[in-house]
Amino acid sequence: MRAVPLCPVDAIAEGAARGFDPDDDGQDTLFAVRTDGVVRVWRDACPHAGAAMALRKDGYLNAAGTRIVCHAHGAEFLPESGHCVQGPCLGRRLKPVASDVNAAGQLCVLIP
Amino acid sequence: MRITGLETLLFGLDDVAGAARYLTDYGLEPARVSETGGRFEAIDGTAVVIAHQGDPRLPAPPAPGCRLRKTVMGVAEASVLDAIEAELRRDREVKRLPDGSIESVDDSGFAIGFQVSIRKPFSLAGEISNAPGGSVFRPVNHLGAIGPDAAVRPRSLSHIVYFVPDVLKAEAFYVNRLGFRCTDRFANVGPFLQPGGSLDHHSHFLIGAPPFMHGVEHFTFHFGGPTAMMTNGYRFIDKGYQAFWGPGRHILGSNWFWYFNSPFACHMEMDADMDLHDASWTPRVVDLKADNSQTFLLKFRKKWMPGPGIPENGDYA
Ligand SMILES: [Fe+2]
Repeated sequence: MRAVPLCPVDAIAEGAARGFDPDDDGQDTLFAVRTDGVVRVWRDACPHAGAAMALRKDGYLNAAGTRIVCHAHGAEFLPESGHCVQGPCLGRRLKPVASDVNAAGQLCVLIP
Repeated sequence: MRITGLETLLFGLDDVAGAARYLTDYGLEPARVSETGGRFEAIDGTAVVIAHQGDPRLPAPPAPGCRLRKTVMGVAEASVLDAIEAELRRDREVKRLPDGSIESVDDSGFAIGFQVSIRKPFSLAGEISNAPGGSVFRPVNHLGAIGPDAAVRPRSLSHIVYFVPDVLKAEAFYVNRLGFRCTDRFANVGPFLQPGGSLDHHSHFLIGAPPFMHGVEHFTFHFGGPTAMMTNGYRFIDKGYQAFWGPGRHILGSNWFWYFNSPFACHMEMDADMDLHDASWTPRVVDLKADNSQTFLLKFRKKWMPGPGIPENGDYA
């Protein structure tokens, strides 16, 4: 298991999201969201068509910061579980990415 | 029924300020914008109008999750409005609004409106390619590339694509009741439709889809040519927006395309150079597959040039 640091975990505020491109693909492939104090990391791929989900850089949430939104067809997901509650992939789930915070306070994804 | 094409699309959403910024970044001109909504216009005055999703003045969407609240089409003159009103009143309610337009609903639950067209005529040369042997050229000393400081603006609202649960019924409404023609068709998917007062390949494309998809797939404005469209798309990505498909060139309609994620629960496209057809055109029917959907497909890439420091085997991939 290899830990790849993304950013200081404190850089992600409550109700905010941030995209990352850890493999240098030229576009973000993961994103992190903080909800109720917990930071979770998801693959930036809608279960509907595998589409990249952001509206613009880091734009993964609705206006209230309460839902993750795929801006390809408007699917909405619960930030706690990644379950789709509205849209073409209703009932399906975002792919979680294992993550951790290291001793230096960096949010890291764990690559097997 | 000489319907001239799309005039206005009305959306209701939760983040009005974000959508306003998006439409402005796309190149539309803000007109009458406030915190509660606004109107964003192309050169000819066709527009996207946004409002908060809770605004009680918005007609109902066809399905939950659809943010499109009304599609307004133009007609050449007031007598056509009367004719459409009489036709639709045979089996549904039609409202006359204070601005003189009429409002009703199509057979798929989309709110529709009709108004005497507000499209402003304008004259602005489109993209011209200097082709050996051709007959039309750019004037001598006129430049083909769009300079970094030159603005690019969408010219006119082009088309909208609906996901509908019963595509035969949806098509019949536009063809039999409103005088649209099918110009081409993806077999077992749906028709491209052209209204009677336009030569554009399509103003509507209908896709038969399961009920949970009911809504909009995308909508788009025409740009002045492929160079204008790709320059604008490139700048849009520079502003942080997320491309979905393109740039490329479609086969049916021949339009150049570039699709982007949007705040409208659908994609927003930029398009250019669509074919024109009249009633003498025989519709094609093709299977829906990638090869039939585009003549070629490209992908965004950061600016780069060959020179010192490039890898030994090149840097194309
Ligand atoms: Fe299109």
